Formats: sequence, C-alpha cells, structure tokens
Amino acid sequence: MSTTLSAAPMRSADQPHAAGGHGRGPLETFAYDDQIVRWFLAVTVLWGVVAMLAGMVVALQLVMPDLVPALLKALGLSEASAATVQQYLTFGRIRPVHTNAAIFAFVGNGMFAGVYFSTQRLCKARMWSDLLSRLHFWGWQAIIVAAAVTLPMGFTQGKEYAELEWPIDLAIAVVWLGFFGLNFFMTLLHRRERHMYVALWFYIATIVTVTVLHVFNSLAVPAAPLRSYSVYAGVQDALVQWWYGHNAVAFFLTTPILGLMYYFMPKAAERPVFSYKLSIVHFWSLVFMYIWAGPHHLHYTALPQWASTLGMLFSLMLWMPSWGGMINGLMTLRGAWQRVLTDPVLKFLTVAVTFYGMSTFEGPMLSIKAVNGLAHYTDWVIGHVHGGALGWNACLFFGVFYWLLPRLYRTNLWSTRLAEWHFWTATIGLFTYWVSMQWAGITQGLMWRAFDDSGALAFPDFVETVTKIAPMYWIRAGGGLLFFLGMLMCALNLVMTWRHRSADLSDTVARAPALGPAEPDRVYRSDLQNVIGLGRVTDQVTELTWHRRWERLPLRFTLFVALAIASASAFSLVPMFAVRSNIPTIASVTPYTPLELAGRDIYRAEGCYNCHSQMIRPIWAETRRYGEYSKPGEFVYDHPFQWGSRRIGPDLHRVGGKYSSDWQIRHLENPRSLVQGSIMPAYAHLLNTRLDFDAIPATMHAMKLVGVPYNDQQIAGAVAAAREQAGAVAAEVKAAGGYEGLDDSQAIALVAYLQRLGTDISKPPPAEGAAR
Amino acid sequence: MPHRKERLLEHGYDEIREYDNPTPGWWHAIFLGSIAFSALYFAFWHGSPMAWTPQDSLAADRTAYYARVFRTVGELKADQPTMLKMMADTRWMEFGASIFAANCAACHGAAGAGLTGPNLTDDRYINVRKLEDLFTVVSEGVLPKGMPAWGNRLTQNERVLVASFAASLRGRNLTGRAPEGEVIPPWPTFEPPPPAAP
Repeated sequence: MSTTLSAAPMRSADQPHAAGGHGRGPLETFAYDDQIVRWFLAVTVLWGVVAMLAGMVVALQLVMPDLVPALLKALGLSEASAATVQQYLTFGRIRPVHTNAAIFAFVGNGMFAGVYFSTQRLCKARMWSDLLSRLHFWGWQAIIVAAAVTLPMGFTQGKEYAELEWPIDLAIAVVWLGFFGLNFFMTLLHRRERHMYVALWFYIATIVTVTVLHVFNSLAVPAAPLRSYSVYAGVQDALVQWWYGHNAVAFFLTTPILGLMYYFMPKAAERPVFSYKLSIVHFWSLVFMYIWAGPHHLHYTALPQWASTLGMLFSLMLWMPSWGGMINGLMTLRGAWQRVLTDPVLKFLTVAVTFYGMSTFEGPMLSIKAVNGLAHYTDWVIGHVHGGALGWNACLFFGVFYWLLPRLYRTNLWSTRLAEWHFWTATIGLFTYWVSMQWAGITQGLMWRAFDDSGALAFPDFVETVTKIAPMYWIRAGGGLLFFLGMLMCALNLVMTWRHRSADLSDTVARAPALGPAEPDRVYRSDLQNVIGLGRVTDQVTELTWHRRWERLPLRFTLFVALAIASASAFSLVPMFAVRSNIPTIASVTPYTPLELAGRDIYRAEGCYNCHSQMIRPIWAETRRYGEYSKPGEFVYDHPFQWGSRRIGPDLHRVGGKYSSDWQIRHLENPRSLVQGSIMPAYAHLLNTRLDFDAIPATMHAMKLVGVPYNDQQIAGAVAAAREQAGAVAAEVKAAGGYEGLDDSQAIALVAYLQRLGTDISKPPPAEGAAR
Repeated sequence: MPHRKERLLEHGYDEIREYDNPTPGWWHAIFLGSIAFSALYFAFWHGSPMAWTPQDSLAADRTAYYARVFRTVGELKADQPTMLKMMADTRWMEFGASIFAANCAACHGAAGAGLTGPNLTDDRYINVRKLEDLFTVVSEGVLPKGMPAWGNRLTQNERVLVASFAASLRGRNLTGRAPEGEVIPPWPTFEPPPPAAP
C-alpha cells in the first residue's frame, strides 16, 4: 500500500487553515512539578508495603486460622481481649483491606506518580493547578486512611472492590474527577504540544471510565452515616457490580498502566515505539470491548444466558487488543535487548509486559464457559489476578520507579545491586504464587465435581477439598513472602536514595513554544488507481492518518471515549433493567423479616461473602452437593447481592434449614469444635455482642426506598417483630440443648438470616389476596 | 512477509518517537477471526433450535445419573425389608456413607458418634422405635430438637439409603456423645430372599 502523505488541509469548520508560521507561538520557559511525583512515589511504596503485609496476613490465616488470636495472646493480651481484637482482624475484614490497599492505594498512587510525571512532559506544561495536585494527593491519602479504618470495623457496602461506604464513595468521586480529572484536563487544554501522545489517550480513558463505573456501581440509599444499601438487587446488582469489577481491572489496573508503559518503556529503552498504527487500533478496541466483558464473572449463575455469552465473547475478542499493548511494549525493546540483561529497569518492564501478555491470554481462556465452570470459585482466579496485579502492575511500577528515582532525586540510585536482588526475588515469588494458585484451583475444582464408582460425590465433605490444597496455600504464602521482601528492598532503596538526594531539588525547567493556531494535519489521500470510491475510502481509513486530527482535539477525543464506553455500557446493561422476562419472579419469595435483615447486615459486615458464595450453578455435581440451583427470582430483595466469587468455604445459598440453629451457634463460636480442619475464623464475639434492634426500622426504610415492598405498619412494628423472632430462635437453640440467653445477641440475628437462606423456593406461594 | 524498511514518523513527544509499522498480519487474522467466531457462536447458542442451555444439560445429567445409579433397584421403598437389604449391601452402604458425610456428619460426627446431634452408634434412640422410623426422622426431621427435615433436599432413594447407613452404625458403640433416649430392640436380621424358582 502506498504511504503517500499530503499536506492537504482538513475540511473543518473549527480548525480553519492556519494563518502563517508553523502554528507556534513565542518560546516560553516553565517548570515541571516534580515534588508531587516524589510524594506520590513515596506513598506508593509505603502503601505497597501495607497492602502486601495485609496480603501476608490473609494468606497465613488460611493455613493458620487461629493465627491472629494466638499472636495477640503471645503479645500478652488476655483471652477475652484477644477475642475482642480478633473480630477486627478476621479474614473477612482484612481481605477487603488487602484488595483495596493493593488496588486503590498501591496501584492508584503509583499510577498518579507516573501520570503526573509523564503528562507534564508530554504536554510540555506544568500541571494546571498546584493546589489541585496537592488536594488530589492529600484527598486520596485521606480516603485510603478512611478505608483502612472503616473496613476492619465492618463498614462495607458488601460489593467486592467497591466496599467503601457512601461518604467515602462521595469523597472518591470528588477527588478523582474534581481534583485529579479537572487538573489533568485543564493541563491538556493548556499544553504546548499540539498532538496528544498515546499515553495521554489511555489516561483520558482511565479518568472518564473510572468515574462512570464508580458512580453507577456505588449508587446506594443510606440508612446510617456509614451504612447504605445498593439501589440494585440480585441479578441486576450482580451485573452492575461485575461491569464495575471487571472494568476496574480494565480501566484502573490496565489502561493507566498501559499509558505508563507507552511513556516509560521507550524512555528507558531509548528506542522508538514499535507501531503507531497498532497503538490506535488496540486503544480503541480496548476502550470499546472491555466494557462488555464483565459478565464472564457470572457464568452459570442466575444471570440470563445472553449476558453470559456476551461476556465470554467480548473477552475472547479482547485477546488481540490486549496483546496489541504487549506487542508494542516488547517490540519497542528491539535493539535494546542486550541492555535488558543488565538494567533492572528494563528487566522489570520486560517481565511486566510479559505478564501482561500471559494474563490477557489466561483471562480470555478463563472466560470460556467450560473452563470457567471448573475455575470459578477456585484459587485459579486468585492466581490470575495476582499475575496481573503483581506481574503486570507492580513490576511495571518497580521498573518505572528505578528509572525515576535518580531523576527525581538528582543522584544515583542508592543500590543497583539491591534493585537486581529485588528483581529476582519478585520474579521468583511471583511465579511461585501464580503456579501454586493455579494448581490449588484446578485441584479443588476437580475435587468438587468428582464422583466415585457408586455414583456419589467422591469428596462429599467440603473441608476435605480445603485441607487437600493447604500445602499449596503454604507455597503461596512463601511466594507472597518473597514478593513482600522485594517490596521492602524497594522501600530501602527509595529511602537511601532520598537520603543521598541532591541539595537542589528545584523543579525541572523546560522551554517550549506556546501553541499558535493549528496547522493542518498531514492526511493520507488514497492514490489507488482503478478502484471504486469505496476502495479509496477504505484505503484512507485503514491508513489511520485521520486519527492525527483527533489527537489535537482533547475535548472531542474525550467525548469519543465517553461515547464508546457509554454506548457499550448501555447495550450490555440496559436490557437487564428493561426486559422483565430476564428475571422471572417466584410467588413464594418474600422479603426478609426485620431480624433476618439485621442478620444480613452482620453477614455483610463480617465479609462472609469473601469466602462463601450464595449461588448454586446448574451443574450436576454442584446441585448434588448444595441442592437445587439458584434461580434469578430468589434474589429480588437482595440489596446488595451476596453471590460471592470464591468458595474458601462451601456455598450457603441453601444452608437454610440444613443445620440446627444450635449447631450454627456453636459453629460460629468455634468452627473447629464441629468441623475438623475448618479454616473459618471463630466468631465467638457475635454471641456476646448485643444486636442494635433500634437500627432496624432505618434499614427497612432504606430498603423500601430501593423497592422492597415493606409497608409502614411493618416498619413501625419492626423492633417488636425482630425481638419476637429472636426470642423464638433463641428458644429453639436452648431446646436443642444449646446456650441460653442469646435473645438479643448478634449471633441470633445472623442465624435467623442463615436459616432463611434459599428456603422460600420450597414454600407454597402465598394465598391470593394475602398481604404481601 | 516481504522485508519492509521501517519508517519513523516525523513527530516526537518528549523525545519519544514512533515507527509507522503496520499492525502485524497474524494479529489482524486472530482479531478478525475472534470476531467472526463470536458472531457464529452467538448465532448458534442464541438463535439455533439445536442449542441447549446449562439447565438442559443438568436435566440430562440428572436423568442419566438416576438411570445409571438406581437402574437395578428403581425407587426404593421406605420399609424394613428394603432397608435391611440395603444394609447388607456394601456398595449401597458406600453410597449412603457419602450422603451421610455430605449432610449428616456435621452434627452427628464423621463416624456417627454424635456432636450436636445424638450418637448413632449405641443402642439408645430418642424418636426411633423401629427401623423405618429412621427414614421418617430423616425425612420430616425433629424440628424442636434441631434435626432438620431432609424431605425437600434428598430424594426418596437417598433418604432410604442414608437412613439405612445410619442404622448400620448401630452397635459400634463409639465414644462420643453420651447415649440418649431409650434402649430399643435390635434391628431384625436380614434374610436374603430365597433364590428364584427355576
């Protein structure tokens, strides 16, 4: 194909033919804000240490469930105080701390460090407002601290990676869009570089999409200062949550990191980027296609099949758009491979991009329904996300940081040798983690579905499938420890480099001409002979030079990105809300009683959904183990849905009536007294903590607002009804020979909720005309 | 692919340059192939009368399972002769043991020696006087005592088999929960039916 370029002006109303010169104004001198980059970089390392420490705690809790109380007692706490402190440090409370710290504190701050450094240089402009930069910095750190305090205390919206309660959610929206987004876009508008480089496209997509995802997934009705209920229920909530969840992976953990790669890889390798055309095609295909992929987290669930299929297919189609980024990254290293052998920066960047490639192959594979049927709810998925988070995000940051540190502190990196050690520790730890979790996941998945010769489940006792993979949990903890040690080496290198910093850390001064009126873009005009008009148009379109024009129109570019993600979201979400037949109702399914609602709040606050699913898939082995598969109509009053994504413990959707209430109480108090080998934390404090009955009417009001049909009479009588039911459950426990005096305990409410789970479907439908 | 000299684009950003390389052919092929595959896949699974759902597969698996596992016995009766016959059959007792492990062991202990539920290995029973009563207790539960009803959860055959398995634990007298209820007469002995007349 010809590559003739012509300087013919674009026909455009808003970009009139440039009047004279080269579109350049007078030369200007300005300074980049490097301090904000140093700040973000330092907290990234700090929060990285915290996130990985929390990760170590939860990893060890799975092999030593009584680790925390034992440690507390070793520290000199009495049995009772150890039990009191333990309630804030259970797996269900700390796992969200780990995930939120890793995603929003570690990757978030690392992204901001890279974005602030590169955006200024790519725009040849200082950030628009130093004040906004600092508000962004401190606002984000305040959000992280708020998360670190509220999550262990059990304040959670109960949706994975979106746990933070509504006041913090509001703060996130303000800091993200109002401080970071505004500052970024104003910098774009005040740039001195005519066209936007591909890294900036990815930053635009990040800021726009994360805003939309965060706002729509977090919509909730508050019932208390730190308690709210999703406006969506059941299947719809699940769909919105995984639209959010998967695109948090896409637009928080991938697009900004790709942007960083596009800046720092060619910088560090001192080589040109492999293909500008590939950048364009893979950018737009990622932006459009990623949005649809969320339902692959919900295969074989009560989600309608069409949504599930779309999720799978768009995930498959994403394979090549993702690999476009990998190709552009790795191929940029051509001519620099000998330096990869010696330079820790390039080593980390290479491993990062390689892991990006492996994760974006593994992802589409896991999204295939048949593969997902085996992998879902297992540790394979845990391995997969750590391949992405540690292999791709963290390693890329490490490469970027070791490149940035000498430049930001104007001195040599304190120890290249230590960086080298960090590289090998991290890489070996990462592989150990990844492979052990794949092994554990596949093993457990196969055990769940295995039948013996008599036709019965080969491993009917769930806990057998847990103790079997305990050795893999140990190996994972070892891999995680290695990665954590590497993180500490990185922190040491940062601190020591900082201590040896130059006396002069004043901002980097740069000079560039201001932008004058736009000059016409050089657009390819097809010179194909003997073809029809359509052929010439195709030729022109596929040469992609038209995209140059978009690159100098930041607002229009942003609008196109917004249209792409909004239309994809609308197509994939709206039918679920508009078409009633997607969620057939079941007449015998009725709203929770006041006490069960209170119990559900405890279930959510304790983070039970981190280990227990409430979604039985229509798979034979699964219905054998847990009972009838879950129907969409069973979740219409579940605000939020609690389907879970991992079975560290068994599914609970049909647990109602499966055990006596007495058993449930004893099991909560000390799971290992009844189930040998169980790794569930002890919840003895629930037996001694008083339930706040008076909070129930506010909960019911909120539920009513989101559409649960409670009437005023029911709300007015809620406290009395809850006390009555609590008395009945407590009497049942006592009659079966269990504990006495539990009437107003949290444990009774939780048991009432558990005993209700999944039972409505086998009840007779209410009589015609009966009060609903 | 013919050798093609790489051309650098004129523009640069903070000294970053870009090549004007085309997107790789294999990349295009797989990308377009995945789109074509997706169109066909969707058309088949959501447009073809030959497509089936996970629920269809589940129903087929269930039918095949019962045909295979219970082919020789059909629907088991919840009476004494049937239960005695099952108790004498090691293969069926393995099957019963699996159901017991999945559903009963949590309260009655893995070996049946009792936890929150009674010990099943001694001669004392609370709500059972004769063999068939075990089936009734399994099916209907003893709700005031905390024994759940399994009638909604397990099929008739499964309940007969797990009740038979529970009965077979009697006499092991394992140390566990103290015996409760009253001593009841031993289960009748199993008399195999006479060989069919020639």
